[in-house]
Amino acid sequence: CNPDLLDTAPDNKYTESNFWKTEAAANAALTGIYATLKGDGLYGGEATPLWEEGASPNAFCYSAGTQGFDAIGRGQQSASTGAVISARWKQAYQGIGRANTFLARIGEVGLTQEVQSRMEGEAYFLRAFYYFTLATYYGGAPIILDAPDPDSQKDLPRNSREEVIQQVLTDIDLAAEKLPVKYTGADVGRATKGAALALKARALLYEASPLLNTDNNIEKWQTASIAAKAVIDLAAEAGYALFDNYRNLFLPENENNREVIFDVQFLFPDAGSSFDLINSQYNSNAPLQGLANAYEMKNGLAINDPNAGYDPEKPYENRDPRLYATIVFPGDTFKGKAVTPSTFAQTGYAMKKYSIYDKETPPSDKADLKSGQSETNFIIFRYADVLLMYVEALNESSPGHADILNYINQVRARVDMPNIAAGLGQEAMRETIRKERRVEFAGEALYYNDVRRWKTAESVMNAPIENWKNQILETRKFDAKRDYWWPIPQAELDLNPNLEQNPNY
Amino acid sequence: QERLSVSGTVVSAEDKAPLPGVSISSAEKTLGITDGDGHFSVNIAPQSKLSFRYVGYKYFETTINQATANLTIRLESASTMLEDVVVVGYGTQKKENLTGALSTLNMKEKEGSPTTNLSNALAGMPGMFVQLGQSQPGVDRSQIRIRGMGTLSGNNPLVLVNGIEYSMDELNPDDVETVTVLKDASAAIYGSRAANGVILVTTKKGAGVSQVNYNYYNGIQNPTTMPDVIWDPIQYMRLKNQALANQGTQLPNYSDEEIAEYEAGMKTDPYTYPSNNWFDIALKNGNIQKHNLSFGGSSDNYQYRLSLGYLDRNGIIIGPSDKEKKYSLGFNASLNVSKRLKVGASIDGYYRHYDYPFYGKNFFQYLSRSLPILTDTLADGRYGNSWLRTPGRNNWENPRMIAETGNYRKIVQRFLASVFGEYKLPWDITYNVRFGADKYDGLLSGFTPQVQHFNPKTLVPINWNSPATAPRSNKADDNVLNIHFYNTVDWKKQFEEKHNVALMIGSSYDKFSNNFFDAEMVGYLDETLTALDAGTIRNAISGHLEEDVLISYFGRANYDYKGKYLLEATFRYDGSSRFAKGHRWGFFPSISAGWRIDQESFFQSEVINLMKLRASVGRLGNQAVDLYSYENSIALGQNYSFGGINGLLASGAAANAYADPLTSWETTTTYNAGLDFELLQSKINVTADFYKKRTTGILRTVNLPSQVGGLAGPKRNVGTVDNSGLELVAQYRNKIGEVNYGIQGNVSYNKNKVIDLGGQILYNFETNLSTITKEGLPINAHYLLQSDGFFQNQEEIDNHAFQSNATRPGYIRYKDINGDNIINGEDRVAISESSSIPKYTYGFGFNVAYKGFELKAAFQGIGGIKIYPTANLAYPFNNGAGATTEWLTDAWTPENPNAKLPIVTESTGNKDNFLQSDFWLRSGSYLRLKSLQLAYLVPQAWTSKIKIARLSVFVNAENYLTFSKYKGFDPETIIDANSLYHYPMLKTISGGVNVTF
Repeated sequence: CNPDLLDTAPDNKYTESNFWKTEAAANAALTGIYATLKGDGLYGGEATPLWEEGASPNAFCYSAGTQGFDAIGRGQQSASTGAVISARWKQAYQGIGRANTFLARIGEVGLTQEVQSRMEGEAYFLRAFYYFTLATYYGGAPIILDAPDPDSQKDLPRNSREEVIQQVLTDIDLAAEKLPVKYTGADVGRATKGAALALKARALLYEASPLLNTDNNIEKWQTASIAAKAVIDLAAEAGYALFDNYRNLFLPENENNREVIFDVQFLFPDAGSSFDLINSQYNSNAPLQGLANAYEMKNGLAINDPNAGYDPEKPYENRDPRLYATIVFPGDTFKGKAVTPSTFAQTGYAMKKYSIYDKETPPSDKADLKSGQSETNFIIFRYADVLLMYVEALNESSPGHADILNYINQVRARVDMPNIAAGLGQEAMRETIRKERRVEFAGEALYYNDVRRWKTAESVMNAPIENWKNQILETRKFDAKRDYWWPIPQAELDLNPNLEQNPNY
Repeated sequence: QERLSVSGTVVSAEDKAPLPGVSISSAEKTLGITDGDGHFSVNIAPQSKLSFRYVGYKYFETTINQATANLTIRLESASTMLEDVVVVGYGTQKKENLTGALSTLNMKEKEGSPTTNLSNALAGMPGMFVQLGQSQPGVDRSQIRIRGMGTLSGNNPLVLVNGIEYSMDELNPDDVETVTVLKDASAAIYGSRAANGVILVTTKKGAGVSQVNYNYYNGIQNPTTMPDVIWDPIQYMRLKNQALANQGTQLPNYSDEEIAEYEAGMKTDPYTYPSNNWFDIALKNGNIQKHNLSFGGSSDNYQYRLSLGYLDRNGIIIGPSDKEKKYSLGFNASLNVSKRLKVGASIDGYYRHYDYPFYGKNFFQYLSRSLPILTDTLADGRYGNSWLRTPGRNNWENPRMIAETGNYRKIVQRFLASVFGEYKLPWDITYNVRFGADKYDGLLSGFTPQVQHFNPKTLVPINWNSPATAPRSNKADDNVLNIHFYNTVDWKKQFEEKHNVALMIGSSYDKFSNNFFDAEMVGYLDETLTALDAGTIRNAISGHLEEDVLISYFGRANYDYKGKYLLEATFRYDGSSRFAKGHRWGFFPSISAGWRIDQESFFQSEVINLMKLRASVGRLGNQAVDLYSYENSIALGQNYSFGGINGLLASGAAANAYADPLTSWETTTTYNAGLDFELLQSKINVTADFYKKRTTGILRTVNLPSQVGGLAGPKRNVGTVDNSGLELVAQYRNKIGEVNYGIQGNVSYNKNKVIDLGGQILYNFETNLSTITKEGLPINAHYLLQSDGFFQNQEEIDNHAFQSNATRPGYIRYKDINGDNIINGEDRVAISESSSIPKYTYGFGFNVAYKGFELKAAFQGIGGIKIYPTANLAYPFNNGAGATTEWLTDAWTPENPNAKLPIVTESTGNKDNFLQSDFWLRSGSYLRLKSLQLAYLVPQAWTSKIKIARLSVFVNAENYLTFSKYKGFDPETIIDANSLYHYPMLKTISGGVNVTF
């Protein structure tokens, strides 16, 4: 009998032996590394980055279907919580594995030096980004730089967090060297030199922050400020600037605008998110009263300032314009209808940022975007963040430096908020910067990490949360000895007993 | 001319029962029929032949030489021909000469019962675990496990219909004559596909006088049991608020004002303030009816049977889309072209379709979330939701809306066509050849309109599905062509009237190919046109082809000495495309022997009339590894868009799994010892079998920690599993006066144990069930925290290991197994009972016959299995769902410290009580009255007057009684599952008729 009769091959998959042959294949493999960003443990799924606010005092996630951020908010996460705690670890390593394979095989394709170098730069950036994600939430993790191989990799223990960050910085430097400053046309959205430098700035700022810089080594702040300044210095060449309209910055028609340094790209119908569904209909990232209260009055005074002119009967009048661009509140108009307290019954509020919906009635074909039908990109690094990172680091390393007021007031000026007055002491300025970050980046999955790295989580997250009527929904708990870090998922411990669990899990 | 007067009685050879209505003829003419007592009296010429014909019995002819008054004619049942001969792999074997462990089912036993699919008829057979997980019209097929689970991947037995691999559920059960199950080394002739046992289905052939048979039944179906849900809206709202308060949520879901308003409103406005029992609203009586019509007959030179079947089933979900129709055609014929050549052809096929609502795949999940406060319809018929805001319910899944909206229809055309030839060569050699084509075409079409439901108070609409993607239309097509070919050479010879030798060798080629595509369109003007053409935007398209080839050589040798010492040996050599070159071929031998002790001269017994010892050993294989999994593949579809709002999706590719090129067969070595005996003129019949099956090189996905690139692990040959057990079958038949009765029973015990996994522990991450596979335990053993009562007060909590910051009095206390003062995954304990396969399966029944009446009952049960249902209704208030009534009365409160259940909380809001622990582990054992049947055979004396040869009527009750400790749902339905979201097990009451002309 003819033995070839037993040879069959799939017609919808390549095999490792016939894949790495063409530039198109190399491009597809590179695209595959980006695709992991859309995983439900990272920035995709239904609305993982929007729910992350629920782990912070900014928002409340009703229990199920919110990737476990509800449990994290209450300090009830454990190794078997699953959801984002499992998925983030897994998907970060999926991205790392894809980058490792890519870097190991790209040389076989025979690309021009220029193309290969740029593609490698993107892979290094993404690998650094995924490792930084692991270090940010879990701390140390096994460092693996070769293509996936079970025999040599499955039993590796965790490297220290410091070693992971060192690896992140090494990759960033390689990426920054290889990546272009900008792209045009169909390549817009790929990692740029600016993205690499912004990642470096964020990584170093986190390193300098109280959670990790326990003896407040000023040098670390200095390094962080230099890293952020490097992005600002690139602004002219790369075209970075604040986008003029704060609300429109987050609309699909302005995707990849001049403020965006790196974002996760969504597209309808095959590669969308559910941001609109989650924000409006599901309201499972419901903003809390604490966030609403954080917005200053239009005059720049906090609402509890006796001179602010705050009227508890008309709490949403004359506030920081960013409130109206970020939150839907009772008495507001939304999708052409008046908002009543029961429209968004979880807390009275809904998140508007990252949704296309606003006061106007939407066109009928977009009246009710459901699961996977939203296409607004999620911005990971934007120029305003770089400015405030720079300001924050500078206030610690060189308090009183002129750039501090200059840049923080640029951010405020964009929304017509009055300047911060000169002459604040270092501590007062620190508080000012922190408040500014909270309102500027509300709904952007930054505040949870901010309160962790500032080490203020143990106070702000050990507190009751309230709805729009100041009624207490529940009282949250945060165990400073445990909850600053996520647990290593149980499944990973089961499969690799050499992984050490984080303390007190 | 002299005439001889002949009279006598015609009886059944089997049970000596008189046969009325037997037609009697001589060469000249028809002489008449027997009367109600089987008597006849005729006058014939001397030396003439007298023939007796009777439906279902062998034709009988005798020559009469003299007048006689007390002639007794014994007619042999046509089907006892099959009882004497059992279908085995590539041939038949006399039952008395069998050396293997086989179970057989004669479908005559199922006459009159509403069997929709053949697999469901196998429940209660010895050594088999037959589980019906879904009773939904169109997909109500049982999963079958023969002698436990030998592997961690594919556990389905190989099924052959008339010698060719085919689905037993793509045949009209009425066309099936017998089912033979090969449980031991007798399956080895099927080599690499035999490790899970082999089921041989033989279809009915025409037998004897040409006849027409028609049968019909009609039945009503209802769920066996449904959860006992709180349907009182006020009770529901109060308990939900209580649950929230108990877990520290300070704000209730429903305010006192809202509850007061509701209570008042219920009296006047049931649309805004409903009190809905959704099981009553959304479920109805199901109906099943079936017609079968067949024509058949045989002579020395030909045999034919043609059959038509029509099944019509309406499910229990309201609305137009829970139903199926099946049209079957069965035809087979064979012809002796010459003394040497016999040819034949057969075709068995279905044209069938079944429907379900567009969102109906999740219907029972939605139904299990419905709340009494959910409005059914508004006064004007529009679908309602609720004016009360309930967290977790952002888009109310109104079950009526789901049941009535949109539709999926699967249309299946499947047939097995085969041709065969048999040529008698010189020297007792016979050549057999069979070619079969199995064609499956399954087209799934779906269309959904855009649906809204309305707030009953404000009349504000909510879009249930997005106008961006509805209306939409989908089509998916599975196009399968499997080609099968085999040929054998048989040689059979007797030497010196005592040595019987038979040899068979053969080869086969099987090719499986599955061509699949699907497409979806959106952008429809309205709901009038539903074709893909009528849409404007391509939404999703995919498709691929899969192929799989198996090439085999096999043979068998039989020897027996005077039917006393029996010996059989078989081999198979299989090559499979599922493995990498160099690992494709496997060799599977077997040997078995039997000893008829009762045939020995030293054995003299009045009591024992048959006693046979059997033993067998053999190797079987399992090739159930995913296609192409031996090679690392790079999957497409890992796409990402660049270029912003007007950007394009860029094609992305990545490896998602790690492959192992060394993967090869799983090998099962099976040992069986059996004893058959018959006592008291075969009134008592006992068969006992002991077996041990050792499977080595079991194929299993070896999960990898995510750090290995987040890849799914490879299938590898990782270990050894044993299944050992015993089966006992006993039967007793007797008569008292005119009452014939019989009882029969069987019990099987199977012990499943993982022997070796190279020290690894395999965790089950594919399902949400918390199970492990570990040396010394059964496959998929539960792996759970150990509960230890409830915390009664804060002090007990403070003194106990830390569970979580949510723990309060009334919560479940878990044992700190490793003593580290933290309750976590390290405190899990394995439980030596499988989650998916029972230790005991049993069946028993009786039948009593008096005159034309017969009452039959069959019980079936399983024991030694644990189930772990979770989420909606298994847990209270799961993500906006309701709760069962036991939470009203049996939950912990300070006043009820020894309650059955912990303090009531939401299961999603508070995980503490719902961690996977033995607290929620339930016994899955059950015993059920599978069927109870009363049949009446109308006396021939009456029916013969209207030219009906045989007429019987039936009344049948299926699944009417179930005994189980688990009360929430039918346990059989949810074995190996983790939720109650299943189409429930149905009980059926039916009546029918069977007429032969």
